[in-house]
Amino acid sequence: MELEPVIGIEIHVELKTKSKMFSSAPTSFGQSPNSMTVPFDLAFPGTMPVVNKEAVRFGIKVCKALNMKINKTLYFDRKNYFYPDLPKGYQITQQFDPIGKDGYVLLETENGERKITIEQAHLEEDTAKQLHLNDISLIDFNRCGTPLIEIVSNPDMRSGEEAMKYVEAIREIVTFLEVSDGKMENGSLRCDINISLREKGSNKFGVKTECKNLNTISNIKAAVDYEIKRQTEIILSGGKVEQETRRYDETNKKTVLMRKKTNAIDYKYFREPNIIPIDLSDDFINDAIYSMNKLPYEYKKEFKKEGLSNYEIEVLLKDLYTVNYFSDCVLLGVKNLSTLWNLLLVEILGYLNKNELALKDINLSKESLVYLANALSDNKINSKQGKIVLEKMLKENKDSKEIIKELNLEQVSDKSFIEDLVNQVLENNKQVVADYQKGKDHGLGYLVGQVMKLSQGKANPKLAKDIIISKIGECPKK
Amino acid sequence: MIKIDLDVINSCAKNLKFNLSDGQDKLILEEFDTVLAQINFLKSIKGVDQQLEMTFPYKEHQVKLRDDVPVKPFKTQDILKNSNSKIGNQIKLPKVVGNENE
Amino acid sequence: MSKLNSKSIVSLHKKLVKKEITALDLVKEAIENCKHDPCNSLEATCYDEALKKASKITEVKEDEILKGIPYLAKDNYSTKGLETTASSNILNGYVPLYDATVISRLNQKGMILIGKTTMDELAMGGTGTTSHKGVTCNPYDKTRIAGGSSCGSATSLALGFVPLTLGSDTGDSVRKPASYNSLVGFKPTWGRVSRYGLFPFAPSLDCPAYFTRNVLDSAYILSAISGHDSKDMSSSTRKKDNYEKYVKENRTLNKVGYFKAVKDNIKNPIIKAKYEELLSKLEEKGYEIIEYDYPLELLNALYPTYMIISCAEATSNNANLDGIRFGPKPDGDLKTYSDYMIEARTKGFSDLIKRRFVIGSFSLLSENMSEMFSRAQKARRLIVDNLNLFFDSIDYLLVPASYDKPKKISELSTSWSTKPDYLDNIMTLGNFGGNPSLTLPLGYLDNLPFGVNITGRIFEDGYVFALASEIEKITGLKDIVVKEAK
Repeated sequence: MELEPVIGIEIHVELKTKSKMFSSAPTSFGQSPNSMTVPFDLAFPGTMPVVNKEAVRFGIKVCKALNMKINKTLYFDRKNYFYPDLPKGYQITQQFDPIGKDGYVLLETENGERKITIEQAHLEEDTAKQLHLNDISLIDFNRCGTPLIEIVSNPDMRSGEEAMKYVEAIREIVTFLEVSDGKMENGSLRCDINISLREKGSNKFGVKTECKNLNTISNIKAAVDYEIKRQTEIILSGGKVEQETRRYDETNKKTVLMRKKTNAIDYKYFREPNIIPIDLSDDFINDAIYSMNKLPYEYKKEFKKEGLSNYEIEVLLKDLYTVNYFSDCVLLGVKNLSTLWNLLLVEILGYLNKNELALKDINLSKESLVYLANALSDNKINSKQGKIVLEKMLKENKDSKEIIKELNLEQVSDKSFIEDLVNQVLENNKQVVADYQKGKDHGLGYLVGQVMKLSQGKANPKLAKDIIISKIGECPKK
Repeated sequence: MIKIDLDVINSCAKNLKFNLSDGQDKLILEEFDTVLAQINFLKSIKGVDQQLEMTFPYKEHQVKLRDDVPVKPFKTQDILKNSNSKIGNQIKLPKVVGNENE
Repeated sequence: MSKLNSKSIVSLHKKLVKKEITALDLVKEAIENCKHDPCNSLEATCYDEALKKASKITEVKEDEILKGIPYLAKDNYSTKGLETTASSNILNGYVPLYDATVISRLNQKGMILIGKTTMDELAMGGTGTTSHKGVTCNPYDKTRIAGGSSCGSATSLALGFVPLTLGSDTGDSVRKPASYNSLVGFKPTWGRVSRYGLFPFAPSLDCPAYFTRNVLDSAYILSAISGHDSKDMSSSTRKKDNYEKYVKENRTLNKVGYFKAVKDNIKNPIIKAKYEELLSKLEEKGYEIIEYDYPLELLNALYPTYMIISCAEATSNNANLDGIRFGPKPDGDLKTYSDYMIEARTKGFSDLIKRRFVIGSFSLLSENMSEMFSRAQKARRLIVDNLNLFFDSIDYLLVPASYDKPKKISELSTSWSTKPDYLDNIMTLGNFGGNPSLTLPLGYLDNLPFGVNITGRIFEDGYVFALASEIEKITGLKDIVVKEAK
């Protein structure tokens, strides 16, 4: 029997608005417990939800980026259950008419491009944070009410790699849109992965398990692969997979049982009677869409056209700040993107990593970097000199143009000056010239070298070479 | 519809996080006969099931969304003032194990 | 000498402007009144703050109509620094951190809060007998109910404690007790007044509402508290109005309608006679009186529709009451959070509330939803669509606000009504449709009051006041207080 994994993912993305989803309390991370709340967040009687406009705008952007149909009327519903982290006894969410429906993302996988369809995206509020000690639990309501968008995929994924790429794609999109930090380690992007197996070719679903506690992208692949293996072994040995919630244990690289799923709880969903349906105007929706940042795939297309390799693009897209920096440099007139890429992603990031700094921490002028990149690609300086200049730029925070001048590095391209030098060299090396003209082509390199020596390394070697050839002709082919 | 009996009533109460006093479940069961009769009456009204559910009394178009401007949060000591179950600047509960709601 | 607080807001205002009396006189007397509370009307009070506030008022200008006037609020309005319990044990000791919008708007106008009034627990009742403080009885006959859920607000106003009391109206919780206590009880258009800070019972029906002893006072109060509130998304952004002008300028509409099924079924001959007399006097005054056949089955649908929607919404609205962040701490050996909540909620709610919650919650279960809650919401649409058909051609709906004497407390039953009489539930129409609706005194049955109720189109609150003022002139019944509770 050939088995096929069936994987669907629910991703909760915390939206980085300034205030909460339904209250005006500030959103925060890492603040002192219960210092970032207003009465609504603790569900004091009589408080009412008021929908955050920015959260809705963010929601629209996410939906648009995921190619979804955007609902032009906003509805909210109550999901009722009792739990200490849910002060109202219900969560306000969008059960019946989510903000977005029927979208997709495209993934580049080992097996080529894959389209993962997305069922829906809905806006909701985050719960409070619990801290479990030995015999008590503590509750901090700072996080309570932080806006979330939950993105629910269809069960379209078939491998750990696809699951990982899917989450990475969503993470890239929300960070590029600047609607979320998208940090899995902080919980600002959290995913629940539903995994089941079925006989290949069947269109029925097997019993699924839900996997939680995945705080890095690579854990997703590891957890899914492990879970596929675990379920495969159960099925092949004649057993039955049980419906349960499992958590990924990073140390042992295993999924472990959290709890069995018994009868599904009835959330008694009904429309939130405190929020009248909100008709979003076309202007409002279009304004959100027009103000969207460029999306990862758009950057990819653009950089590819400009000549970066897939690898270079992939590395570049890992961080939005770097991408923006890079693209600003491109706009400032970089002549060769690979040169810039090399400077920024190899040299500069290497330096930053070593010194535990981030690009945004250092005040590196883009104009200065572009000047350096162009100096390199124009062969005004060589790569060894480039390194010296860059080091000075980073350490002394100086402008590249000035450093080049100061160090007297800039190659001289003054034609008459070089011509003078060439004449001197030719005069002093008549034998070499004669040999060259008889076919000894390495003589040309020697002559250029002599010109460079005379100029103390500043002459533009290409120009010197051209002038020499114009005077003594091409080396005849043997 | 779920057939109502004492077990269903008590499990409803449990889900609502309270216990019923002695005899209250039987009282609800008796009341429920009336409720059921009334539900059946509503069902018998011509055209009722062709209607759209009505949550809001009327349709109101001008709803304002809130600008994303945070206010000054309440002081921790004030926000926790009414709690009789706190420790330091946090709310305290018996250890929460598992989430039966998920 | 009759008490100052028995007078109308408008007349007290004139005295304040002329400096015949001071705000402090009024507040001192109001406090004295509250200290002799024969009907069990009061919850927590804030006498010291009230005195402090009153003593700061040295001058009242012509246009400061409400300045210096004392009032009481139902115990489901959030009042900063003043215990608010909704008359439920589960909220004993809860001291809110913020003021409800209605409270802060009245305070801004210079009104002075004296204290809070009893109510049916969590506003879920119509008798005034289910408060954690026991029964609030009718000042006209203490063996009878005051009506609810805004019982304490009705009785304290009828007793002349103050000239304004706030209530709330989800079914008829202000308009029914107004009828039983010879008061003007007004429920504005849903959304006209912010609900922020009003403890929710059933938000799609709930409305801040209030009692006064005459129609003009009532109109002034709406002018003071209405208007959009950024803290309540359902509060309307439509422009507010000067509602008192409708009364002063007699700006009534012309077509007064009644339901044939209602008029034909009034069993009490005195109420029937008074109601019919009122209709004919209005006709004499030039109003067009129109009989209307509202579908009988929809009248019979009022009670179950109301009960299912309100109980279902209530289970969810009161899920925040768990003793964790506010409210009394549960006792005993509580090993889990669930034990904690169960203990707090078991002790905190009365049996009646629990029974309502169980049925409400049962109607929301996914398997029951379409048969119960959804169907009630569908029935609501039919009810409202048909009411709107009425209002397409008729300006007002006029009905008696009660159909008999208030019930004897000893004869009450709290169980789900087996044979609900649509007459008793007719005023829920205004909650289903969100319409403005006002009850005012119409007459007496053996010295026990009954009222008449006017309902208008949504956002035509002003026209409702205008007709109410006309009726007030016809009946001559205004500014009525009970001399001594019997």
